[in-house]
Amino acid sequence: MKKKIIPIFLGFSLLFIPVLASGQNLLIKNGTILTVTKGTIPRGDILIINGIIKKIGENIEAPEGVKTVDASGKYVVAGIIDSHTHIAITAGNESSEAITPEVSVRDVLNAEDTAIYTALSGGVTMVHTMHGSGNPIGGQNIVLKMKWGLSAEEMIVHEAYRTLKFALGENPKQSNFFTATPRYPQSRMGVNAIIRRELLKAKNYKEQWDRYLKAKKSKKSAKNLIPPRKNLRMEALADLLRGKMLARCHSYRADETLEFINLSKEFGFKIACFEHASEAFKIAKELAEEGIGTSVFLDSWAYKIEAYEGIAYSAGFCTKKGVLVSINSDSSERIRRLFNDAAKSMKYGGLTEEEALKLVTINPAIQLGVEKIAGSLEVGKHGDIAIFNEHPMSAYTRCDMTIIEGKIYFDRAQYLKEREEEEKKKAEKEKKKKGEKK
Amino acid sequence: MKTKKFLVLFYFFLAFLILVSSSSTYAGSVYAIVNCKVVPVASSAIDKGVIIIRDGLIVSLGPSEKIVIPEDAEVIEAEGLIAYPGLIDAHTNLFLELPKEEPAQRQRGMAPQEKETGRYSDLTVFKLLKPKKTTIGSYHKIGVTTVLVAPKKGIFAGQSVLLNLNGEKAEAMVVKNSVALQINFTRARGVYPATVMGTMALLRQSFLDAKHYHSHKSLYASSSKGIKRPEYDPFLEALVPFILERKPIIFTCNNQEDIKRALRLIDEFKLNGFLSGANEAWRVADYLKKTPLFVSLHFKPPITSIYVNKGEELKEKAEKEIYPANASNLYKSGIRFALTSYGLTKASDYLKNIQKAIKAGLPKEEALKAVTIHPAQFLGVNNIMGSLSEGKIANVILTSGEIFEEKTRVKRIFVDGVMFKIKKPPEKVKAPALNLAGKWEGTVISPMGELDVTMELEQEENEILGTITSNFGIWEISDGILSGNDLTFTISATIMGESIDMEFSGKAEEDLIEGTFSFSSGSAEIRVTRVPTSGF
Amino acid sequence: MIKRTVTFTVFLILAFTFSFSQETNANLIAIKGATIIPVVGEDISEGIILIKDGLIEDLGKDINIPQGAKVIDAKGLFAYPGMIDGLCYLGLSEISALRSTIDYREIGKVNSQLKAVEALRPDSVHIPIARANGITAALVVPSGSLIAGQSGLIRLVGWTPEDMIIKSPVAMHISFPSVPRRRRGREAEPREEPSKRVEELKKILNEARYYEKRKEAAKKNLLLTYPDFDEGLEFLVPVVKGELPVMISVHMDKDIKAAIKFVQDEKLKPIFFGVEQGWKVAEDIKKAGIPVIFSSLNNMPPKWEDGYDGVYRNATVLHKAGVKFAFSSQSSSLAKDLPVHAAKAAAFGLDRKEALKGVTINPAEIFGVDHLMGSLEKGKVANIVLADGDILELRTNIKHVFIDGKEVDLSNKYTELLEKFKKRK
Repeated sequence: MKKKIIPIFLGFSLLFIPVLASGQNLLIKNGTILTVTKGTIPRGDILIINGIIKKIGENIEAPEGVKTVDASGKYVVAGIIDSHTHIAITAGNESSEAITPEVSVRDVLNAEDTAIYTALSGGVTMVHTMHGSGNPIGGQNIVLKMKWGLSAEEMIVHEAYRTLKFALGENPKQSNFFTATPRYPQSRMGVNAIIRRELLKAKNYKEQWDRYLKAKKSKKSAKNLIPPRKNLRMEALADLLRGKMLARCHSYRADETLEFINLSKEFGFKIACFEHASEAFKIAKELAEEGIGTSVFLDSWAYKIEAYEGIAYSAGFCTKKGVLVSINSDSSERIRRLFNDAAKSMKYGGLTEEEALKLVTINPAIQLGVEKIAGSLEVGKHGDIAIFNEHPMSAYTRCDMTIIEGKIYFDRAQYLKEREEEEKKKAEKEKKKKGEKK
Repeated sequence: MKTKKFLVLFYFFLAFLILVSSSSTYAGSVYAIVNCKVVPVASSAIDKGVIIIRDGLIVSLGPSEKIVIPEDAEVIEAEGLIAYPGLIDAHTNLFLELPKEEPAQRQRGMAPQEKETGRYSDLTVFKLLKPKKTTIGSYHKIGVTTVLVAPKKGIFAGQSVLLNLNGEKAEAMVVKNSVALQINFTRARGVYPATVMGTMALLRQSFLDAKHYHSHKSLYASSSKGIKRPEYDPFLEALVPFILERKPIIFTCNNQEDIKRALRLIDEFKLNGFLSGANEAWRVADYLKKTPLFVSLHFKPPITSIYVNKGEELKEKAEKEIYPANASNLYKSGIRFALTSYGLTKASDYLKNIQKAIKAGLPKEEALKAVTIHPAQFLGVNNIMGSLSEGKIANVILTSGEIFEEKTRVKRIFVDGVMFKIKKPPEKVKAPALNLAGKWEGTVISPMGELDVTMELEQEENEILGTITSNFGIWEISDGILSGNDLTFTISATIMGESIDMEFSGKAEEDLIEGTFSFSSGSAEIRVTRVPTSGF
Repeated sequence: MIKRTVTFTVFLILAFTFSFSQETNANLIAIKGATIIPVVGEDISEGIILIKDGLIEDLGKDINIPQGAKVIDAKGLFAYPGMIDGLCYLGLSEISALRSTIDYREIGKVNSQLKAVEALRPDSVHIPIARANGITAALVVPSGSLIAGQSGLIRLVGWTPEDMIIKSPVAMHISFPSVPRRRRGREAEPREEPSKRVEELKKILNEARYYEKRKEAAKKNLLLTYPDFDEGLEFLVPVVKGELPVMISVHMDKDIKAAIKFVQDEKLKPIFFGVEQGWKVAEDIKKAGIPVIFSSLNNMPPKWEDGYDGVYRNATVLHKAGVKFAFSSQSSSLAKDLPVHAAKAAAFGLDRKEALKGVTINPAEIFGVDHLMGSLEKGKVANIVLADGDILELRTNIKHVFIDGKEVDLSNKYTELLEKFKKRK
């Protein structure tokens, strides 16, 4: 009996070795490895097999046929994660109504958005692409890996939490732009009230379905009961109440942030983190106690009045108080320099290099629910890596290569080579043209 | 007084003409097309064959030796010509009379004037049909006998209709009303949904609501006692057969993501779904094995495409080389498809782009199938059209050479057994000497007297189109060619419900057009001068 | 009795000298022990900078520190010249979403009469924040119109606008007419005939020329009509005379070439701003001898074909061709990031020393104030920054900033709010 079990068991365990559909084999050699969570290896190697990190250490020999990347003199770090963007989608915000949780950005993905390449050039391997902040309750978001050249479906990260976008403050109350069709709510009281109203409606909806299903089981009524109408809007909110989705709430002012925490307690739903949270430093205490993180800009501020007290020290200060902070770009331009933003937390906030690096790697990974597969360089995690020519926290650094699951998606040296060849071809064409004209 | 007398006489004169003219005859005629090569598409070609048409149907076809020509048949000598099935364009938005839209008078910051919900599932496009002789004529010129007219506006745009272009009366042209429900991944205006993600949610919710509506209705129908009466909803009522009885739904897909969106919905709700548009279908060929595919021949890459965002050079290459190869790539992946004119504004572009697709690698035979038997099969009408065989509708075209060749012209076309001669385009056309666009007025002088007319002309290079208005009404000016100062055009006059073509030939100067109308038994002179436009 | 008078007199004399030397102390500062990075000239390790009456009296390794000088121990620190922002909106923009706080934009096409310094808000929260990061001077500019107006160079300290002005006007700002850029996803707007607008610009300059000529002629001859006052033309006179430089905002290669021809034809004294595709026409810019102020390096390259690093490598290419350049923050709330732009250019190939010049001596030369600032040299104004590292680096902390020889307060809105909430338990 035992003799049979062991091989069967081994056979089964083979099924569980993760193999990623677009994963490849790669060996990175001789770089300074910043693992993020387990210190720095001054001169080390990383072996990736089928997209998963198999070994990290010194002097790893290349197995046969595995491509090698020479990272001598360079810094090898976990791929950067941007936990708040609006790239790779063709629609931003369902503005026709104030409450639209039934819509999902998954339905409007665009794998051909050049912003994906822009993200890669900045060492970003994964993004949380979101619904806009024009609605108190917006829509469902999605996490993508920046696999430029593959289809949208191949980019979706299924391990991530399901998240629902909420928004508070000036944007959902429509006060910092002109609209010809203002709708309720137009005040912070209204924003809070409408969120409460919809959650009460969802609670009610859940109740109606629960009763129907219960009645169906009992013998008496059965036949003539009309089922309640399945309402996708209410279903989405019901999922939030059931804990199947987490809230990601856009807010600036400390007070509105606290009010939303109260709402979450009133209805028993979970907040993954607050977006922007300019005034988080004012309520670092509450955020740390509740275990709610923030996803912020380091120093983009004063562009509207609710951001007028968004000090650059906030990210560092909150981190020191025990809040899980990540830094995001919310922009297809700023996504290229998230590592610069993180580095500023050393000057403004007094964080160490390691703490600063976490703001754009493991911290956002935890917030998105993907810390088991990304956010740091550890055996068993996905081979999502960015290679920099200087320390990523230096102002002089530049991303030279971005790798996702062992496949190279951005290679500066290759890019320059191709560009040079193209320019040569163009110059030759020009010469020919001029020659012909004569 | 004089005018009244003239009108009465003219009226009788024209009535006489109608009896003797013979530009088109209605079904009831019997034809024998003889001595041509016959390409039935669904069976092997016949080198020298005969096709017998009676009462709008093909009663027999075969090699010349084997077919007996009926006594009452009009013999059409077709030596040197080739007979093909009439072509089917399975997605067009032409022929629709949509209310003239005011150009968006939207000022910055003002609310949109109209609210468009986009939910017209109960709209059958037949109601909006306005078949124009000129459009029918331009389709005939390229050999198209059958079109699927799809409604354009809205998310649930409405139900499409299949027409045989056999004349003018819309009713007579209908082959199948309500062929499919057309769904577009577009947005509503002024109301939910304002984005495509909202549209997807709306589609899903509507499908769920149709199911719920149906189950409520069924429950009520089986025993109305003690059950709340379901509220009538025309939108859902119309939707039910498509969601629950697998009546076809055609999704218009403008890019590869639309295709995937449609496929997700088809899968989630087990719909009988077709895909149309799809000019970049080759990029998602792996997904397309099972779904009927109608591929449009417009080659402009969609805005979301990578070919548009990487610079001018690539964009041009995409439009000239990459997208025209769509059909060829699909064929190589083993996918069956139909080719449509969706996205094109002129019927002549349909033929031109078929030729471009062939040039880009699509085998000619496949192109022919894609506009004959494949669309017929997808639309469920292959028992009555799509190929030349006994018992099928007599949609036949006679061409001067191999179909889709540069020099080939359609000489004759039979639609529902009605024969149309295609006029020869003028051999040598010079550049137009001037622009005739605008208003003209003058007189028609005939043996019977004078008739006041006004003309409104449009000109695009050599082509002239327009209308001529008189006490008889408004008539279409078609097939107009201005070569240098030589002007020719045809007027399709409608008198007493009958149509009669009158050919004009004459000279055009800056302010004066003069020439002669000829019809089968006589002629009339016309002289018109330009109406000066009030200073600009 | 004499003894008492003598003691008393001696006491008085001593008291007098003592009080006198207290006064000189405030104007006499010695920064001791820092590594001096003068930008012009060799670096000096463990050097001394002597400040007197707001100017750099002397600097070097073995400088005599006079009696009564306030000594600042700068051991382990680095001394740099204060940085100069090539173009920004400090003091002219507080909250970008609130128009009531924006004062660098005006309506109208020709606004040569506008002076940016006249709208300065010395209490803007953004000024102390920029200053605390080592920026001591900045060019504040009007923006938006074809001819936007006159910019001014300000010091980042002062109670009143008057206090802050170093030089005004520095240049007349012109937006060079160009073809509107295609927006992603939308077709290009119909071509606006930029050549027509250039003609328009030429016409205006020509009118200014003749306006001036008529005025001069009338001054010499009482019988001639003295021309009516024309606001737009009046302020353009120094421009057409070649006395007041023009700063021309221009971006694409073809437009840059056209702008070069334009300034040569019109005999203007040009500075170009923006120049995102300058790398394509570097030789032409060099030949024309025109200095360049880069726009923010955060701007995306105008065309995909420019390459993902189009704007980043611009400085390297232009420097190689021999063009003089400076960096700008092009901001008010992020003016503090001026050094980050310079470092970004260095990350993509520019020599780090050249990058530093781009925020110190280069802008000083381009604005004609290099006799006053831009480097640590004897006789120049004592705008000095003491940092614990390379001022272009992100982790560096600025410890002291001197403007005109006086140490300035480094507290700002950030630090005030931080201190307040540090107190919350």
